[in-house]
Amino acid sequence: MPFLSHGSYRIRYELDGPAIGPAYVLVNGLTQYAELWAAYRDALVAKQFRVATFDLLGQGTSDKPALFINQDDQVAALDLLIGELGDGPVFLSGISFGGLIALRYAITHGKRLSGLVPMSCFAELSPQLLLLGNAMRTGLILGGTSYLQDLLLPMNLSDQWLKPLLDKLDSVKRQGWLVNDVYALQNLMESFLDFEPLTPQLASIGVPTMILNGEFDFLTPRALHETLRVHIPNSSLVIIPRAYHAFTLEKPALTADLLARFAEDVLAGRWQGNKAVWIAPEEAGGALAPFPAGYDHLRAIPTQGMNP
Amino acid sequence: MSEFFGPLDSEGRVPPRQQTRVAAFLISAHCALARQFAFTLPMKLDSAWQTELNAQLHRESEIISLLLRATSWVPDLTLGYMAASWETAWFPAPMEGIPDRSLAVTAGLATLAHAVHAGIRPAALLPLEANADDPFVMALRRIEFESGRLLQAQILFLKGPELAPFRNAVSAALERRHAEIGKLWAEALEGVGITIPRAE
Repeated sequence: MPFLSHGSYRIRYELDGPAIGPAYVLVNGLTQYAELWAAYRDALVAKQFRVATFDLLGQGTSDKPALFINQDDQVAALDLLIGELGDGPVFLSGISFGGLIALRYAITHGKRLSGLVPMSCFAELSPQLLLLGNAMRTGLILGGTSYLQDLLLPMNLSDQWLKPLLDKLDSVKRQGWLVNDVYALQNLMESFLDFEPLTPQLASIGVPTMILNGEFDFLTPRALHETLRVHIPNSSLVIIPRAYHAFTLEKPALTADLLARFAEDVLAGRWQGNKAVWIAPEEAGGALAPFPAGYDHLRAIPTQGMNP
Repeated sequence: MSEFFGPLDSEGRVPPRQQTRVAAFLISAHCALARQFAFTLPMKLDSAWQTELNAQLHRESEIISLLLRATSWVPDLTLGYMAASWETAWFPAPMEGIPDRSLAVTAGLATLAHAVHAGIRPAALLPLEANADDPFVMALRRIEFESGRLLQAQILFLKGPELAPFRNAVSAALERRHAEIGKLWAEALEGVGITIPRAE
């Protein structure tokens, strides 16, 4: 199990796939760990991508700083990992908290990237997200990791995914509970205490950017992704049908296919961001459809809008 | 070697030798915290924060009482040697780099309590098949849960305004404490066939 060193801390990472060729770097969400990307490794490696996964500081098998975790340290750790990939094209994707770290990286190290895919992501804390974050932190403090998982599972996954697992949720939660420590999760959450919105810096992201947002994402709804679409110049927004915040867990085949197609289009010079809004197919391999002209993609009912 | 307790008996109970080793370590650590909290707690409270100190003392006592009663004890000849090294590790260690002696002692105690409450996760040793109705299993889950709550006082204090000017010293001392106690915990477990990631 290889590790990178950031100061006195060790960051556990894994590289899979051909050493030569384009690479995908995948950044975990807050309560996640690198093994959750296994299906992505398989799918992307099969398409000749090199795949880099890792545990952020405070997660999984990486070191867990006891008291303070700064988001700049996460970006530095990510930079160390990308430094392991050589000079080839690098595509960076992250979900939720990991998407935020990916955004920060793209702002400060954008020249190293060929493409960016923020998923279920945000550049600022809306009042709802701030209060939900506070409630989750309180839940963690009062009820431990297990209670936080109890909150997140129904909020972030669909009935279709949850229903067959209802009588075995303890085993679904177990690995996340085992590898995540209360104090480390709390430190990750408290890295938002001095959070400043990234919105003013989004315009500096010059790389092609595909923003992925679940149709029913409750935690980070469409409006937060719209901020990214509006401010990142070469971006487009892709809405994943019937998906919630944690669609990377629920729809790995579809999401991995979208990641691969995005990178292939960028490398082939076919990618046009145009700040367009698209609807992803239901299944991997299907065609993306443009959001219907004249309707407001920020609404949940078909309301005529200014401009998609 | 396994990451979990076992092999469990037919009723899903943890082997008594493993129960004894783990309970002895936890009693030693929480007893040290209880002693140090007791010495710090005045007979008459004169600050609001001391109510938390009172709560910490009694939660530690509860943990000790629980382990004494929930554990299936068996003789463990290595305990004498190990307990001596544990007790030495719990000695009060005023935090270096803080000129105010009283604050340095309190900060040192907070790092010990943080390392014990945050870094020691006895319930994570329980395999899925452990009998949820067994008192030792229930005790470990309760201790880990309560530790997460007790930890909040240490986090508030160590991140608080009094220690803000000494952030680097606090961070370094706390990392040292975590590494030291994590190592002792790993060594205690290795002797009964359990392996966990070792602090370097």
